[in-house]
Amino acid sequence: MSTATDLLPLVDTAAPVDEAEVAEIIRRARGEGKAVYPIGGGTGLDYGARPEMPGVGLSLRRLDRIIEHTPADMTVTAQAGLTAARLSERLADEGQRLPVDVPHPERATLGGLLSADPSGPRRFSCGTVRDYVLGLRAVDGRGVAFSAGGRVLKNAAGYDLCRMMVGSLGTLAVITQVTLKVCPVPQTSAMLVCEVPDFDSAERLLEGLMQTQTRPAAVELLAGASHQGNPAIGPMLESSEAQLLVGFEGTQPEVDWMLGGLAQEWQQLAGIDSPVTIPAVEVSPVWGWLTGLPADVQINAPPSATVALIEKLRGIDPNGSIQAHAGDGVIRVYLSPRVPAEFTALVDEKLRPAAAAAGGNLAVLTLPDGAEMTRDQIWGPPGEGMALVRAIKDRFDPHGLLNPGRFRC
Amino acid sequence: MSYSPLVRDLRRQLGPENVLSAPSELAVYDCDAWTLQRRPPAAVVFPRSTRQVADVVKVCRSHDVAVTARGAGTGLAGGCLPANGGVVVTLTRMNRILEISLRDRMALVEAGVTNSRLARELAATGYSFAPDPANQGSSTIGGNVATNAGGPRGLKHGVTVNHVRGLVAVLSDGSIVRLGPVQASGGPDLIGVIVGSEGTLAIVTNIWVRLTPDPEGYRAIRAIFDTIDDAVAAVTRVVAAGIIPAAMELMDQGILTAVEEAFEFGFPADAGAVLVIEIDGPTAGLDRQQDRIVEICRQAGARETVQAATPEQRESLWKCRRLALGAVGRLSPSFMIQDGVVPRTKLPQVLRRIVEIGREHQIRIVNVAHAGDGNVHPILLYNERDRRQVDRVSAAGRELLEECIRCGGSVTAEHGIGVEKPALMDHLFAKEDLDAMTRVRRAFDPTGRLNPEKVLPAAGSAAPDGSQT
Repeated sequence: MSTATDLLPLVDTAAPVDEAEVAEIIRRARGEGKAVYPIGGGTGLDYGARPEMPGVGLSLRRLDRIIEHTPADMTVTAQAGLTAARLSERLADEGQRLPVDVPHPERATLGGLLSADPSGPRRFSCGTVRDYVLGLRAVDGRGVAFSAGGRVLKNAAGYDLCRMMVGSLGTLAVITQVTLKVCPVPQTSAMLVCEVPDFDSAERLLEGLMQTQTRPAAVELLAGASHQGNPAIGPMLESSEAQLLVGFEGTQPEVDWMLGGLAQEWQQLAGIDSPVTIPAVEVSPVWGWLTGLPADVQINAPPSATVALIEKLRGIDPNGSIQAHAGDGVIRVYLSPRVPAEFTALVDEKLRPAAAAAGGNLAVLTLPDGAEMTRDQIWGPPGEGMALVRAIKDRFDPHGLLNPGRFRC
Repeated sequence: MSYSPLVRDLRRQLGPENVLSAPSELAVYDCDAWTLQRRPPAAVVFPRSTRQVADVVKVCRSHDVAVTARGAGTGLAGGCLPANGGVVVTLTRMNRILEISLRDRMALVEAGVTNSRLARELAATGYSFAPDPANQGSSTIGGNVATNAGGPRGLKHGVTVNHVRGLVAVLSDGSIVRLGPVQASGGPDLIGVIVGSEGTLAIVTNIWVRLTPDPEGYRAIRAIFDTIDDAVAAVTRVVAAGIIPAAMELMDQGILTAVEEAFEFGFPADAGAVLVIEIDGPTAGLDRQQDRIVEICRQAGARETVQAATPEQRESLWKCRRLALGAVGRLSPSFMIQDGVVPRTKLPQVLRRIVEIGREHQIRIVNVAHAGDGNVHPILLYNERDRRQVDRVSAAGRELLEECIRCGGSVTAEHGIGVEKPALMDHLFAKEDLDAMTRVRRAFDPTGRLNPEKVLPAAGSAAPDGSQT
């Protein structure tokens, strides 16, 4: 994986120990006309366009303390440089978790998680990190620190600036501290897997899942060679177009009942005789595997358009691989062409038009080595809210110092 | 009859039948369910489309007057009081359900659709819009969005913002923006910023709401405790046991006494607290969970527990909670429902203090709480016609919210800041925090025309006189 110095035009690096120092670094950068590139675990450095403005790499790695964890309140407050894995360990001691799938949890930090707002398998049942942020502290592009939200589970006081920061990719302010809502770890978990012979069946099965009596935690559709080989799931049959994985979480009786219930529904709906059950003892690595599968682009589409779009994508790049969080209309595509020009042409000329025709949008997640794309090529045409985003950006980072050139503004 | 130039322009844009301007008609719109402050608008309009809302905003812009959006007017913090006069945009005639797509688990509704109407429409589908604010019969989805409404089921099922996938809104310059319903990768969550902004950032006209599958089954438990501390301990232990109930409603001795006085449920006179807990989910796990909750309540000191499995039994368990406001209404000519929130472990402390505050101000205060998320709803009983009582109620309300702040909480969990609580924002947030919110407001509405004097303290909620441009 590429490092910060490969991907960012850094002339300096800093690893502040507290918020005051973060503010000081930003103010100094402003004086020197340098950009500021916030860096967490470095797992998302290749997300977005390649910036050009020379600047300071501001590492949050030393801001890694848990400030408060009150299990009975279901809240935890931690500094932004804490890794997702260390948070998980601490929460697990109390039987709790943040039910958000984080790729590369050993390195990914809470600040990065908020900034990038990834969608994982559990989005279907648990939402994304935006649904768990209760409060935060951040330093804006003028070097001024502010708080947003609080540490209570419900709060209607003022504007939800936490949500404004979620997904903002470090362009509005540098997050230094986060308060999250946490939940009990479910007693158990399991998955049911079936082979999908063709795309009509895929749609029938997904439509069935909208009316199922069970309560899936995740609905994943996998296709293509790169997404094969997980021993718990087993290889896809050559006669299949895809594999459908449905994850369950809950108490033992609930999960047992749901596994049986869905198997029965599948048998009636599509004549599926013997779906594979991934039992509790084997399921944990599969959740991790599903969270970490590589992808070059992410398409967001209406769930009802997902299967038709996947069929089209399979036609466009038969040697690529697809992972869809199918219940949410999120399609992650791993492309077969690795030559930069071919990759770019495929995204521009085939994939994005296909996504748009299905009522969706496409963003490039990572570029193959040597590829260069403009911001518009990476993010696609701006949505209707772009003028508002710019107006907010102008007021939080008036000098355009924070992560310039990577996002749309 | 002669009309002001403003009213003339509004009548021309919307048709005379959609504009009110007679003083007797305007008086109806001089407040919402927060009645301690009133001010009639210069006109009330009833647009039927997003386009018409945009036209109204443009007219208001050309006349340089404020615009305040309004739903059913059930708000409890004066959020749709036209603080500076101007035009009230009532969205209740935008009441069409435009689309229900079960395959996409989503419905597109106009802002004036009521919660109950949407619930009726969805009744046979197995899906629902999860937030369940108390005034379901009349509250509108647009109003839910404005206040980020919650309800008893927030702990498990979330609040409004968790159930909004997209929206169409009119901005302060009269432009129309559509956000979602398909989320884009990258970029701030503007929908999340607009939800709960109480009509100060934009006027939301259409909403894509997320539909949630109905649980297969329900169970309910009612437990009587000697003390609030015991009841809260039970709540904490239930969650620690890995169970997230759909609702955990707490009633203190004050409200129990009121309910007894009015309806004679037969609660023991010395009961310190009652918990009503509801769980939902696949039937397979429910009985076991219910037994576990009963066991936990007993261990925490419950002197009596009742369980319910059938809808009739559940309704009977819930009745004491549902009738709470009715009971208060019978006992007192006026009452104010407050809204505060604290970390859950601080509930006993804050509830004790609230009762003391009532005594100190000679105001009877009884409490219900969404205990799972630490949300207290003290109900202050008084007589609106007695000016001194009104003053004492205001003082007691302020003081109990300050106690919430001291406990690490907030001054509203689901009713909003409105015109009631901007002054408390200074206590809750630092200057830099409020400045950040002000910058967001300016980014959306540089003129401060939308619902002025709400949410932020005076400095941040710009006057609509055009001086801020």
